[in-house]
Amino acid sequence: MKILLKILLFVILSLFIAGCLGIGEKTQDASRPINLVKMSGQDMVQRLGAGEIAGFIMWEPYPAIATTKGYGKNLLFSGKIWEGHPCCVVAYDYNWYINTKNADEILRRMALVQLKSVEYINNAKPTNSPEHEALINYTLEFGGMTDRAAANLSLQDVDFVYNTNVPGATTFIKKIQDFGIFDTGKWIQSGYFNASDYANSLITENYVDWAVMNKDANLKSVSLREPVTIRYGYLVNDIHELPFYVAWKKGYYNDVGINITIAEGAPFQNGAFEMQKGFKADTVDVGSLGIPPVIIHRINSNDFTKDDARVGVIAGMNNEGSVIVVANNITSFKDLRGKTVGYPGPGTIQHVLFLMQADKEGLKVSY
Amino acid sequence: MKIDSERKGLAINILSLFCFLLLWHALVMMARNDIFNIPFMRLRDIPTPIETWYALLGSMFTKTYGPALTYGIADHTRASLLRVVEGGIIAFIVGVPVGIGVGYSKLLGNILNPIIEIVRNMPPMAWIPLAIFILVAGGSIFIVFIGMVFPIILNTVHGVKSTDSRLIDAAKTLGASESKIVTLVVIPSAFPSIMTGLRIGLGVGWMAIVAAEMVIRSPVGLGYFIWNMGDLGRYAEMVAGMIVIGVIGYVMNISILVLQKRFIRWVD
Repeated sequence: MKILLKILLFVILSLFIAGCLGIGEKTQDASRPINLVKMSGQDMVQRLGAGEIAGFIMWEPYPAIATTKGYGKNLLFSGKIWEGHPCCVVAYDYNWYINTKNADEILRRMALVQLKSVEYINNAKPTNSPEHEALINYTLEFGGMTDRAAANLSLQDVDFVYNTNVPGATTFIKKIQDFGIFDTGKWIQSGYFNASDYANSLITENYVDWAVMNKDANLKSVSLREPVTIRYGYLVNDIHELPFYVAWKKGYYNDVGINITIAEGAPFQNGAFEMQKGFKADTVDVGSLGIPPVIIHRINSNDFTKDDARVGVIAGMNNEGSVIVVANNITSFKDLRGKTVGYPGPGTIQHVLFLMQADKEGLKVSY
Repeated sequence: MKIDSERKGLAINILSLFCFLLLWHALVMMARNDIFNIPFMRLRDIPTPIETWYALLGSMFTKTYGPALTYGIADHTRASLLRVVEGGIIAFIVGVPVGIGVGYSKLLGNILNPIIEIVRNMPPMAWIPLAIFILVAGGSIFIVFIGMVFPIILNTVHGVKSTDSRLIDAAKTLGASESKIVTLVVIPSAFPSIMTGLRIGLGVGWMAIVAAEMVIRSPVGLGYFIWNMGDLGRYAEMVAGMIVIGVIGYVMNISILVLQKRFIRWVD
């Protein structure tokens, strides 16, 4: 009996110690960070509904789905964190570029298709547009959703663009540097002097310039002489990349002589995956993804002797379009302190935006 | 003589570890210089041992960059260990009594054995989806519990069953009650086996926690850390984290062996 008692005592003691360690974590409530936890968009909606997380920051359509279901409310649009911030972009793989003899011709037409598609979407966005229903259908298909109201809501939150944005990219690079995300050794290897030096090397503006010059041309009239096949990478159910989907479904790429095949591994879970498993592994020729993953992985994941993760940005996809959604009982960003918030992963645009907002409010964020 | 051979053994141990590091370094450097590469692998992206060492030092402690709080390996380790300890305590509380019951009583054995036999063959990782969808909190601790409880039960059963029947008979003839036989004869005799179960369980629990932390995401934990570093393309930190996981598993195993030798004097 004595031994049993001793065991019991031991167990109680250990539980007590474990409990103390646990309590120790909870005492400094005021200075507790907001805990970012990586999860998929589906998970975010479900967990917010179940009350397991206090909120999430995500691309559309997930915020629209969560709010139309009544699981939470919009706390902050990303345009309020940084007005007109760049988001997704169209990028090409550098290895593909140097091994393709008419790569410039192809990229000009990709930029033109992007322009046409963005114009179509922007014209079809108002609910009284004759094309609105068709656009909603594209949104439902691409976003993997069924609710038409949510589809419309998510469209209104995204600002579709085709222009590149060098100052925006520069700001992102600076922020990513400040937040300690770059591998410092790799940054030195890259040889860039500063953020704007890097941004200028990353973004090429003349493809969009060409597209703007030819914006009134019929797509078929500027078609490539010989059709080419492009392996395209994109993100799963990301409404930001709707211009790609619309252009693909409406046959714009075919019109200019580009045959799109979906790259191996696409659609990708997030931009980090697209960079590492797509561009770096040479399975993606051209793709769309958020600009922060491009910025981060062209440094961190790059082997500078080969420059295998080198990509170039040729056009924009969208500005803004991410939302911080919170549970109904939360009224301010500060209320998230000490709570768990879902996000799509480290190094994503949502991650950087969330850190920027925390910086403004003087809060700490752990990830 | 004995000390000499022990020294020799230790020397070979150290030499082999050094050779492994050298081989690792050589493979990576050869791949980077396009001399030799194992097909279907991007060996050039693996950090060298030296890069890994610096990454380990650099990411050991928690740092803040403006609003960003990045936990160090020390904090990640603490969080993972805490989960293993919590899951392990629960597994111990549940596993030992169940094991004694199943080992000592034929009836209880017949009732519980089929259930144990089926459930123990579900790997802890197979419970992760269930833990995500059913449990509101403590998913990772639950996975550790699942990983640890069956080695503890099985080894306890084994220990109870291998109790010398003469000792039990002797206690019976001396008029000891059932409860006294269990507490004074069976448990002490089974104790080394229980400790073995705890040791094996800790090994399984440690593996399970790393897997669980990768899927059941919380902001802190070693499994979470290595996945996060991979996501950011910081492979040196990722490999450093993997090595820390291995070293901690090894240290846990060794320390229980030492404890076992120290405290269970009635075993030779």
